[in-house]
Amino acid sequence: MSQNITVYTTNSCAYCGMVKRWLDTKGYAYQEINLEEQPERQQEVLEMSGSLSVPVTVVNAANGSKSIAVGYNIGKLASML
Amino acid sequence: MSENNREIHDVVMVGAGPSSLSAAIYTTREDIDTLLIEKGVIGGLAAITDKIDNYPGFPDGVSGLELSENLRKQAEKFGAKIMLGEVTKITGEGETKRLDTTEGTIYAKTVLLATGTDHRKLGVPGEEEFYGRGVHYCATCDGAFYRDKKLVVVGGGNSAAQESLFLTRYASHIDMLVRSDKMRASDVLINKLQENDKITIHLNTTTDEIVGDNTGVKKVVGTDKIKGQKVEFECDGVFIFVGLNPNTSFLKDSAIELDEAGFIKTNSRLETNVPGVFASGDVRSGATMQIATASGEGATAALMIREYLEN
Repeated sequence: MSQNITVYTTNSCAYCGMVKRWLDTKGYAYQEINLEEQPERQQEVLEMSGSLSVPVTVVNAANGSKSIAVGYNIGKLASML
Repeated sequence: MSENNREIHDVVMVGAGPSSLSAAIYTTREDIDTLLIEKGVIGGLAAITDKIDNYPGFPDGVSGLELSENLRKQAEKFGAKIMLGEVTKITGEGETKRLDTTEGTIYAKTVLLATGTDHRKLGVPGEEEFYGRGVHYCATCDGAFYRDKKLVVVGGGNSAAQESLFLTRYASHIDMLVRSDKMRASDVLINKLQENDKITIHLNTTTDEIVGDNTGVKKVVGTDKIKGQKVEFECDGVFIFVGLNPNTSFLKDSAIELDEAGFIKTNSRLETNVPGVFASGDVRSGATMQIATASGEGATAALMIREYLEN
């Protein structure tokens, strides 16, 4: 698949773990950015999603479109992929 | 087991929190085919709780995430299957129960409803507008964004107390706004709050509005009920823990009887009014909202399900 998936997380966020588990279950590869370990990336998440609440999942599709999910919502994630 | 080429599980458990995971440990050890369906976090609200000090067997406490992971591993070790998906409807087809889910239709001989509860919204101006930009309901998720910042925590129960203590890892100061004249949290937690220099408890204080601008939350406006005066608390973020709502909206068109608050009614055998459908844990009417009792009810439900299946 040519889409690129990024999951923004924090250390103790259980919902973040569920997003990663769901992506693993469905066989999607993704990169994780831990905002607690990389606080300099927090502003980009806020600007991109309008929210500083994790998990934030960003899908950059092959056609250049970008979709963003804040929180763990299976229906939303499925519609993005 | 299959019937008419469709798989029928012995038991499907809706929700994968401490109650159903405990039930699954029991059913799978009895060789009862068990499927759990979870739409949120495995472990439920327990999984997003920083530390649990009152679950038996952990003298130094245990993180909610660790307890949840251990329950999951234990249930899966004995053969429980966990599906990530959402049940949207439950109907009866004779003795078989039909569950419509986001992952397809599933059939079961018995169902255990253990969907737990979710944090209630406060319902004040600014709460929705600033959700995720200063208003939060999960301290373990979003607390890290408030290093050296000022916070307001709304609520006076165990969740508010426990999560306030967690947030002191990051925040420079926390104002706790408690509507009533005393806190509902346990004495142990209240003592910890009072010993913590970063926390100020404001009893008899309502939360009326969350105020901010395009950069986020700036202050919380409330009322001091004793003085009858408006009070303001400057802050960078607000965490809200003001009670729990049952996760039963998917049952609204079902035959399963709920109480006036939306919790599932059961008898002492944890049976609902629909034969073969059981309920346990926080979602059950009359539940004591403790992880230990949710686990205990899960074990009881498993034994009742076994008996039902044998008959």
